[in-house]
Amino acid sequence: MKPLLEIEDLHARVGDKEIIKGFNLTINEGEVHAVMGPNGAGKSTLSYVLTGKPGYEITSGTIRFKGKDLIAMSAEERAREGIFLCMQYPVEIPGVPTATFLKHAVNAARKHQNLPEMDTFEFLKLVREEGRKLGIDNEMIKRPVNVGFSGGEKKRLETLQMSILKPELSILDEADSGLDIDALKVVAGGVNALRDGQRSMLVITHYQRLLNYIVPDYVHIFADGHIVKSGDKNLALELEEKGYADFVREK
Amino acid sequence: MAGLLQNASLWGDDIPWLCALREKGTDVFTRLGVPGAKVEDWKYTKPRLLNADDFVLPEAPAQHSCSCGCEDYCDEGCGCRRNIPLDAYQIHFKNGFRHPEHNHFPEGVTVLPLDEAIAGNEDCRRYLGKIADIETAPFAALNTAYLENGVFINIARGIKLDKPLVIICHTCAGERNLFYNLRNLVVMESGSEAEIVEYFHYDGIEKSRYFVNVVNEIAVGKNAVLKHYKCQDDAYKAAHVSLSAVQIKAGGRYQNFCLQKGADMGRNEVRVKLQDKGAEARVDAAYKMSGWATLDTTTVIEHLSPETYSEQLVKGVVDGEAKGVFQGKIHIAPHAVHTEGRQLHKALLLSDTAEIDCKPELEIFADDVKCSHGAASGELDEEQLFYMRSRGIDEDEARRILVEAFLDDVLLKVDSEPVRNWLKTML
Ligand SMILES: Nc1ncnc2c1ncn2[C@@H]1O[C@H](COP(=O)(O)OP(=O)(O)O)[C@@H](O)[C@H]1O
Ligand SMILES: [Mg+2]
Repeated sequence: MKPLLEIEDLHARVGDKEIIKGFNLTINEGEVHAVMGPNGAGKSTLSYVLTGKPGYEITSGTIRFKGKDLIAMSAEERAREGIFLCMQYPVEIPGVPTATFLKHAVNAARKHQNLPEMDTFEFLKLVREEGRKLGIDNEMIKRPVNVGFSGGEKKRLETLQMSILKPELSILDEADSGLDIDALKVVAGGVNALRDGQRSMLVITHYQRLLNYIVPDYVHIFADGHIVKSGDKNLALELEEKGYADFVREK
Repeated sequence: MAGLLQNASLWGDDIPWLCALREKGTDVFTRLGVPGAKVEDWKYTKPRLLNADDFVLPEAPAQHSCSCGCEDYCDEGCGCRRNIPLDAYQIHFKNGFRHPEHNHFPEGVTVLPLDEAIAGNEDCRRYLGKIADIETAPFAALNTAYLENGVFINIARGIKLDKPLVIICHTCAGERNLFYNLRNLVVMESGSEAEIVEYFHYDGIEKSRYFVNVVNEIAVGKNAVLKHYKCQDDAYKAAHVSLSAVQIKAGGRYQNFCLQKGADMGRNEVRVKLQDKGAEARVDAAYKMSGWATLDTTTVIEHLSPETYSEQLVKGVVDGEAKGVFQGKIHIAPHAVHTEGRQLHKALLLSDTAEIDCKPELEIFADDVKCSHGAASGELDEEQLFYMRSRGIDEDEARRILVEAFLDDVLLKVDSEPVRNWLKTML
């Protein structure tokens, strides 16, 4: 088993507040890990630290991705290396049509792989095929990125990007927030389609519900800035029953 | 050693009304001079460059080598024939002098060199110098002092010009600090329609210094529609000052869009008089600059009759140590009830040293009007930048996309799709 992501004794802060405190996690190729934690535990912070968002300062520890030092890479380099963050709150970009945005993203990846730019015809075909599975039509991709999208539409667009970019590591931050059960099934379907035994996932969530649809190989409980307990998918059910308080106290 | 007012031998010194007009221009400019810091109207945009004492007036070009006038009309290899990718009538000026061209205008469309029109066209005489108020515009006075070159356009009653008319103004200054004036007069008769585009560019010698001083006088008749677009892409050490003075009759519609991106000091001023019921104006603008430039958009919209309508959207992107200026005045006369005047200015600052000065002014003397103004300036949104970068898009590219997106809605104010697409390529 080849390690894809190796996080060792990571400490990170936002402003002068330390939020990640001694975080350790290794994800091998093909594995799906769930990180569960209460609100405010630092789950989104972890996702931003991994994807290189400015303002999130790593004070100590290491992160390796495919053996390379991830911390030294810019946000865009990390994306091109194969990390994708499905955001809890996707950002609205007025004035930029979704299709234009997707095309830039696709071509950035292709450039990195020394492939020629995808022509418009090919690109639209790809978007149409992947979009159909997620219930995204042509009208939606003409609209500016996320502007006026419902919660469900935003998450479906995140999933579409993931389906098109086919990242080696997908980080899903509260992929189910704001989704009704039907939308959740659509999103989970898109995510599961990428599970091919090679690609890996880090599923970050507060609730166990999502894990009925995206079934993890491992579950970690995240509190006070680090993992307090690890187990298999049954740990999530146990957590659902007992609540977070028990686990935080156990420590 | 010479300032802006020089003894020039001008064409037509045997036409008394023309001489009187020029003399008045000279007098007013002598009195007003280059505005200093105390002139309210110019307090943000300092026309320092125009105090130079080495201005040179261009000489009229020698006879063109080509007999048909369509080829080789500039043999200096400066690229001044550069056409623009629009299916349009094109009129070329080089250093303020018109090149011959082969346009075949449809019936009812009169396009003449200004001097020819002065010599023989009644409408030209009727309107020239009557629309622009030079007492409040020193450079328009200066322009009047040199009144000679430009174009006269008349669209007859009910005629629609089938293609845009593009006025391409090319400057090839060489080593000299060139100074020249252009004066255009557009008379849109009742029910006529046209699209006019002004395009200012230069020979690519970025360091050349020059001063282009433009005045457009525009009369929009009853129910006539004029769409007036402009792109100012002058050299980065140049000065560009322009005044478009517009009067609009009942039911007439005027749309102005100006993109300023060149020059060290650029000012585009549009003054609109909505004279009769139902007259409408849109005056929109975009500016994009870096370095040390100051680009100024000044508008004065006068609602002089009831039920007149105006709207303005001005958006700018400022980088480096550049400065963007917007001064927008909406005046609503006492009896001009049921009018609407709206104005919005938004700027994007790309550096800590970029600057914006914004001065909205509402003078409302009537009741029952809808009038509003707004201004906002900000930086690129960090969340949007990160979102794009997290999808693998280069930071520079992401910035470029966001700047383009910022200007997107103002460019959409350009009705003509070919013109809009051409303007987009200039950004
Ligand atoms: N930009 C920020 N500035 C200051 N504090 C922040 C910022 N982002 C998050 N925090 C704080 O960090 C902690 C963890 O936040 P977050 O990572 O969003 O938690 P979670 O996603 O687990 O709910 C919270 O206490 C939150 O208030
Ligand atoms: Mg969160």
